Amino acid sequence: MPIDRRILKQFDYPLLFLAFFIPLLGLGVLFSAGYDSNRMVSLAWWLPLIPSEAFARQIVFLLFGVAAMLAGVSVSTGMLSRIAYPAWFGALALLVLVDLFGVIVNGSQRWLVIPGLGFQIQPAEPTKLALILAMARYLSRHPPRPGGYRFKEVLPIAFLFLLPAALILRQPDLGTAIVVASIGTIMMLFMGVHLRVIAVVMAIGLASIYPAWMSLHDYQRRRIEVLINPELDPRGSGYHINQSKIAVGSGKLLGKGYMEGTQTQLEFLPEHTTDFVFSVLAEEWGFLGCITVLGLYLAFLYRMLQIAARSKDLFSAMVVLGIVAMIFIHTTVNVGMVIGLLPVVGIPLPLFSHGGSGLLSVLFSIGLVLGIDMRRFMFSKN
Amino acid sequence: MPSYEKIPIQIAPRVTVFAVLICILFGVLILRLWFLQAIHGDYFRDQSENNRIRQVYVQPPRGLILDRNSVVLAKNRPAFQVDIVLEDVPDLSQTIKRLAELTDRPADELLRAAKSPGRRRPFEPRMVLKDVSREVVVELEARRWELPGVQVSVIPARLYPFGDLAAHVIGYIGEISAKQLERPGYTGYRMGDVVGQTGIEARWERFLQGQRGIKEVVVNAAGTKTGEASFERELSGQNVVLTIDKDVQAAGEKALGEHKGAVVAIDPRNGEVIAMVSAPRFDPNWFVGEMPRGVWADLIQGAGKKLTNRATQGTYPPGSVFKVVMEAAALDSGVMSMTERVSCGGQMKIGNRTFRCHKREGHGSVNHFGALVQSCDVYFYTVGNRLGVDRIHSYASRFGLGQPTGINLGDESAGLVPSTEWKKRAYRDPEQQRWYPGETPSVAIGQGAVTATPIQMAQVLAAIASGGKLYRPTLVRRIQSADGTFVDDNFAPEVVGELGLDSSIIETIRTDLIGVVNDPQGTARRAKLPAAWNIVVAGKTGTSQVVSLDHREKSDAFEHHAWFAGFAPAEAPELVVAAIVENGGHGGVTAAPVVQEVLQAYFMKSRGLSVALPGTESVTPVKRVEESTRAN
Repeated sequence: MPIDRRILKQFDYPLLFLAFFIPLLGLGVLFSAGYDSNRMVSLAWWLPLIPSEAFARQIVFLLFGVAAMLAGVSVSTGMLSRIAYPAWFGALALLVLVDLFGVIVNGSQRWLVIPGLGFQIQPAEPTKLALILAMARYLSRHPPRPGGYRFKEVLPIAFLFLLPAALILRQPDLGTAIVVASIGTIMMLFMGVHLRVIAVVMAIGLASIYPAWMSLHDYQRRRIEVLINPELDPRGSGYHINQSKIAVGSGKLLGKGYMEGTQTQLEFLPEHTTDFVFSVLAEEWGFLGCITVLGLYLAFLYRMLQIAARSKDLFSAMVVLGIVAMIFIHTTVNVGMVIGLLPVVGIPLPLFSHGGSGLLSVLFSIGLVLGIDMRRFMFSKN
Repeated sequence: MPSYEKIPIQIAPRVTVFAVLICILFGVLILRLWFLQAIHGDYFRDQSENNRIRQVYVQPPRGLILDRNSVVLAKNRPAFQVDIVLEDVPDLSQTIKRLAELTDRPADELLRAAKSPGRRRPFEPRMVLKDVSREVVVELEARRWELPGVQVSVIPARLYPFGDLAAHVIGYIGEISAKQLERPGYTGYRMGDVVGQTGIEARWERFLQGQRGIKEVVVNAAGTKTGEASFERELSGQNVVLTIDKDVQAAGEKALGEHKGAVVAIDPRNGEVIAMVSAPRFDPNWFVGEMPRGVWADLIQGAGKKLTNRATQGTYPPGSVFKVVMEAAALDSGVMSMTERVSCGGQMKIGNRTFRCHKREGHGSVNHFGALVQSCDVYFYTVGNRLGVDRIHSYASRFGLGQPTGINLGDESAGLVPSTEWKKRAYRDPEQQRWYPGETPSVAIGQGAVTATPIQMAQVLAAIASGGKLYRPTLVRRIQSADGTFVDDNFAPEVVGELGLDSSIIETIRTDLIGVVNDPQGTARRAKLPAAWNIVVAGKTGTSQVVSLDHREKSDAFEHHAWFAGFAPAEAPELVVAAIVENGGHGGVTAAPVVQEVLQAYFMKSRGLSVALPGTESVTPVKRVEESTRAN
């Protein structure tokens, strides 16, 4: 799709800068987190050998991420609107396929092996994006009456996000299911929901706490119990939370210094290149490093919110808002989990954690936001 | 200018609300970070410095291997191993030097073990010496202070109480190789794990292995253990109960004596393998701990090929035992009628070649009975001539020849039954690709290109014994957990083939096989069981040529292979036994007694019979009961 030079003038360069500055900081932390002097890794012949597998792999992912972002930028807003529903159905079909033929990793069925190609995909990532598009399209076409959505109007909207959430919960992947449901809820609340509906849903929610608790898997329940009282099981489920809290707290104000984190380097900290990468940052860079990075995230989210506010049509605004919601939920849940505020649910820190599909998906989304923003003046009816 | 759609809701104020919400939640995160890092920072810093809980893997005891009567054939014994934790060693060369002095081992060997490559977690002990003696342990413990970072741990090691008994079935174990680690079947395994390498130990590895446990060891700053807590309990491996009967197995091994060869005993009613002997044998205990020097070289390169399981991997010309297949083919295809007689003058001319019968003066006029009982070659040359090689191939395939029996023991040989098709595939030269009619007679008497494994020949007889059914031979009866709570005995007999012969033909062959052992002219009269037992044995001998007669030399290695395969009781068979004695000479002389001893051991055990000692005519009480019930 050709991109006009006049459109490029509208490009939001600060957002672009943040979208790559945060992962670059992340790379620095990953180098330390994945450091293993006994193991030199290079993922391509043109890359040097690096004693940190997570670092080496993340560089390659980042390069792919640039391509993903360019792809996102080049999609026109009209096209986004047109593919919104097919994308939702496609994501749903993938989730059903995972349910039927998925590969079981660590006890849950999250991966789909592409026959003949030898790689696996995790449909949860595209599902989030497809959901954002479908919600944006539906909500922008069906704005609420004054006072917000009534019951009858809430039902189809809830269906849009609860169905994929339920399928993901079946895998079982509680963390992603919560993210998907939260994205949908935030987007719906943004449009406005009648107070009476909110009150009733909250009442039902409170009443169903007990049955929901009973339906959780043992390990999930254990993690919540341990969150409330980590001393309950310092060796078992509490181990992750405890070690992470020790790592974070022991960083104190200024940190132990780069590559000096004992929790990380002696591998007391679990999953320190993926879900617990923020603990590595906190241990080695201290409170100062933490608020710097959180500040960057805040600026990043704020920049995108501004784009939402200045968009000229509701669909664009809602897509951007959905993406903000997605990145915000990921960030809060991940950091909250690492510092012992939330149960361990296995949600990576966007742009920071080691992992291909998450990084690609976020950079693609940012590409979409940038694309939507720069096209805001050449609106074509969608 | 395009016209803007009017936005029905106000976006900007809602965005502000959302932004405020985001700020509040980020504020909570930052407050929490302040709480952990600023307010309680000293406490956590202290915790991290005293974080001396180390996770140590605990090796689970391997599952037992038991015989069909629960006699333990493979178990575990406690063994001492010396580990070294590199992080706790201040001066590695000094420690290794001292350790080498105390244990009387070369220092460079210990150093290599301590620094062997492979992924290792921090503070993870590395094994430097396995299976050390109690004396060495005492020595090391007494000088602990001289050896920082060196620890002695007790691990379960394999013990095969009967030594080389059924060694080829049980197999042996060894440290996992780098190649194995890369295979998908070994996901979850780590360097240094001990896994089955051959036999049951390898095929049932996943069940026998169990699950490693993780122990948390609390150590002080010097790395000395101050306490421990179990983190994840290890799970012992599951026990594998074999179909092998230890006593029948032992009888087979004893019967073969110093000979090379193999014995296979199968229950024709379900395919269960009761005994599987391959000689010469090895002792799987050699593979536990340090292998004595020279032993490995002998195992790999030695003339005896001790590691080869001759029962499933050795291929031999089946010789006259193959005539069982030929008789079935002759009668079923109709090329030879039940009554037709062939005149044997000691040789037969086919084309311009003369084929000799093993009996120079000839058998005279013989029908199928006489031909099988006396193993007349001329009769079967005639049958082969009339059938042609492809029909022979087709009948042999029905008996399972030319293809693996499917016993789950790894690397089974398929053997070979030639055909015109096979020759086209095997040779490139068009001259050699042709099948010449002059090649067929050799095939008809189980020579030429025909080869089979002992277990295949046992299957041939088992097919007749069972009245035409071919079962997949099995070695495992059930899998049970170490505490006996979980049992998987879902090992139903599996029919893998049908001969598709008329029952009258099978009964005719059975009668002829009885004749081989019991007729005054039979070739296998030494296979008979004690007369008083009233158990009739049926079977067929074979004497297969190692090299053609023209090149015969006076050397043991060119002596014929002796075969016998038979079953008993002939009318309702319970056990089929096939035996080959390499370079043993005549089947009826060397192999038949081996089978006889195995059958005898089996029936002594299953029917409580006993053998009358030479010179005494006494009859055991048990046997008398047997007789009296029969009289009734």
